[in-house]
Amino acid sequence: MSEGLSPSPQGTRPSFSVNTHNLIGGLIVAVLAVLFLGYAFYVPNAVIPRFLSAALIVIGIATAVGFLPVHGPRDLYGGLALIMLATLALIASAELPGQRGFAFGPGTAPRLFSFLLAALGAAVAVGGVFAEGPPIEKYKIRGPSLVIIAILAFAAMIRPLGLVPATFLAFMVSILGSTEMRWIESLIAAVSMTLFCVLLFVYLLNLPFQLWPRF
Amino acid sequence: MSELLSNLWMGFQVAGNPYNVLFCLLGALVGTLVGVLPGIGTVATIAMLLPITFGLPPVGALIMLAGIYYGAQYGGSTTSILVNIPGEATSVITCLDGHQMARQGRAGPALSIAAIGSFFAGCVATVLVAALGAPLTGLALLFGPAEYFSLMVLGLIFAVVLAKGSVLKAVAMVVTGLLLSMVGSDLETGAGRMTFDIAELADGIGFANVAMGVFGFAEIVRNLELPAESRDIVQSKITGLMPTRQDLIDSSGAIARGTVLGSLVGILPGGGAVIASFAAYTFEKKIAKDPSRFGRGAIQGVAAPESANNAAAQTSFIPLLTLGIPPNAVMALMVGAMTIHGIVPGPQVMTKQPELFWGMIASMWLGNLMLIVINLPLVGLWVSLLRVPYRLLYPSIIVFCCIGIYSINNSPTDVVIAAIFGVIGYWFVKHDFEPAPMLLGFVLGPLMEENLRRAMLIARGDATVFFTRPISGVLLSTAIILLIIAGLPKIRRRRDEVFVE
Repeated sequence: MSEGLSPSPQGTRPSFSVNTHNLIGGLIVAVLAVLFLGYAFYVPNAVIPRFLSAALIVIGIATAVGFLPVHGPRDLYGGLALIMLATLALIASAELPGQRGFAFGPGTAPRLFSFLLAALGAAVAVGGVFAEGPPIEKYKIRGPSLVIIAILAFAAMIRPLGLVPATFLAFMVSILGSTEMRWIESLIAAVSMTLFCVLLFVYLLNLPFQLWPRF
Repeated sequence: MSELLSNLWMGFQVAGNPYNVLFCLLGALVGTLVGVLPGIGTVATIAMLLPITFGLPPVGALIMLAGIYYGAQYGGSTTSILVNIPGEATSVITCLDGHQMARQGRAGPALSIAAIGSFFAGCVATVLVAALGAPLTGLALLFGPAEYFSLMVLGLIFAVVLAKGSVLKAVAMVVTGLLLSMVGSDLETGAGRMTFDIAELADGIGFANVAMGVFGFAEIVRNLELPAESRDIVQSKITGLMPTRQDLIDSSGAIARGTVLGSLVGILPGGGAVIASFAAYTFEKKIAKDPSRFGRGAIQGVAAPESANNAAAQTSFIPLLTLGIPPNAVMALMVGAMTIHGIVPGPQVMTKQPELFWGMIASMWLGNLMLIVINLPLVGLWVSLLRVPYRLLYPSIIVFCCIGIYSINNSPTDVVIAAIFGVIGYWFVKHDFEPAPMLLGFVLGPLMEENLRRAMLIARGDATVFFTRPISGVLLSTAIILLIIAGLPKIRRRRDEVFVE
C-alpha cells in the first residue's frame, strides 16, 4: 500500500527511539496545540480546552522524542487530530451561553458533541498506541497542491476577473498537477471547456455570471 | 378505494395536461444533463435550475421541479457509476458496485438497471403515497421529538455499520459531521456559533461545499496519486448497453426489496433516501448467498440502493406535504420553491389545494416515466463520457465543481470552503477515515439537535425520556444492539480481509 516508507523498528524497543516520521508528526501536534493553548487563553471561559491543549502538547512532544510507542500511526494521528478539532470547537463555543433551566442554550449541544468527539478521538488514538497498524501513506505534494491552488485561484478570480479568465486559468493550473500533461492538447481542452461552461451556465441556465473583467 | 382512484385520476388529469407533460419532460432532460456532470449533485442541480421555474404557474413549476429532481438524481447515480463521484449522499452507495461494474465494462447494464429499478420503485411508491398519505400522517404524528431523535440515531448507526473499517472511527466521523453542522447561527436564539467571526460562516457550512470537497476534490487528488494504469476507468470492451436476461433475473429481487425498504424508511423524516439506500445495500449484502461479491461489481448492489433511494425520495414527500417538514436538503429546496409560489407546505395542502397535491403525486410517476424514456436511449451517450482521458477529465470536473459551488450562493468563500474540505477529505483517506458517515452526520445534525433540545425541554431536562417513551426506547435499543453486533465480529472479519490481501 505504501511506498518509500522504511519500516520503523520502534515496536521492539521499549523507549526513546527517535524516528523521523514521529518526530515530524509529534512536532506538528505540539505546535498546533501551542497555538490552541494561546487561543484558549485569549478567550474567556475556555478552561477545559486549556487543559486539553496542554495535554496535547505533552503527547505531541512525547511522540516526537519517541517516548510514546507508535504502533498504528494512522490511528494515533487520526485520533489526535479529532481531539484537536474537538478542542478548537470547545474554544470557539466557550463564550456561548449554556443550559438555562431545562432549556439548552446555543452552546450546550456544541460542547456536548465536542466532549463526545474528544472521547472518541482519545479512544482512536489509544488504539494507535497499542494496536499494530499500517504506516501512513506518503503525502504527495505536486498533484494535490496544484489542484487546491487551482480551486483557490478560481475563488480569487471569479469576482474581479469574471467567468472566462477564471475558468480558463483554473483549468490550466489544475492540469499542471498531472504528470502526463501535454501543452497543445491542454490548451485546446481549456478553451473548449471554457466555451462549454459559458454556453451551459450563462446562456442555457441563465445564471448571472460576469464573463469578462469589468474595467 | 374509489376515493383513492378518483383522487389519482384527478392528479393524472392535472399532470397529463400537455403543457405539464412538456414541463416534466423538459425538467427531467435538463435535470439529467446537469446532474450527470461529475461533481454536481442533486441539490446543486436543483438549486441551479430553480430560477427557471419561477416564471411558470405553480402547478407547472412544481411538476417541472419534480422532473428536475428525478433527472438530477438519476444523473447523480450516473456519475457515481461512471466516474465514482457521488453527487449526493443518496448515491454514495451506488459507487461501491456501480463503479466496479463500469470498470468491468458493464457500465451500460449498471445504468439501465438503475433506471429500471428507479422506475419500478417510483411506480410502487407513487401508489403508496396516494394510498397511505392520509393514514400515515397519523402515524407520523405519534412521533415526538424524542422519537425523531432516536430514529436519527438509529439511522446514523446504520451508516456506521455499513462503513468499511473500524466502527469506532466511523462513529467518530458521525460526531465530526454533527459538530460541523452546528457551525453557524443557532436555530432558536440566532447566536453565531463557532463562526470565528467570519460573516460567510454565519449561515453555516453548505452541504454542497462539504460534499464536493470531501468526495469530488479529494477523489481527484487521490486519483492523481495513483499510477495511470490503475485509474483507467476507460474500458474499450463495453459489452452491450442493455442488461442481459440474467441481470434482470438477478436484480429483480433486489429491486423489490429495495422498493419496500425504501418506501418504509422514506416515510420517516430524517434523511430518508440516504438511510434507505444504505439500509437496502446492507440488507442485500446480508441475505446474499455470496456477500463477497458486493463491492466487486454485484448488480444487486446497484439495483437495491437505487430502487430504495428513489422509493424513499418519493415517499419523503409525505412528511413534506402532510407535516410541512422537509426531511432532506432537496425537500428544503422544494419548500423554498413552494413558498415562492405562495403555497405553504403542510397539512392544508391536501385539503385546500387537492389538484396541486394529487397533481404532484401523479407527476412523480410521470417524472419517472420520462426518466426511463430519456435515459435508456441515452445510456450510450453517458457511457461515451468514459472515453475522455483522465488527464483532461479531472480539470474539467474541478472547473465544473468550482462554477457549481460558486453559482449556489454567488460566493467565492464557498469555493474556498470546498477546497478546505478537499484537503480534509484527502487527509481522511490517508488515515483510514470514511467520509460518508461524516456527511450523513452533517446532514442530520440540525434536525437532530433541534429534536434533542425539544425533547429535553418537554421532559423538563430528564434525559431518560429517550428510553422511557416506548417507540423511542425500541429505536435506541435497536441502535445499541446493532452497534454491539457490528462491533465485535467486524474486527474479526476485518482481520480476515487484511490477511487475505
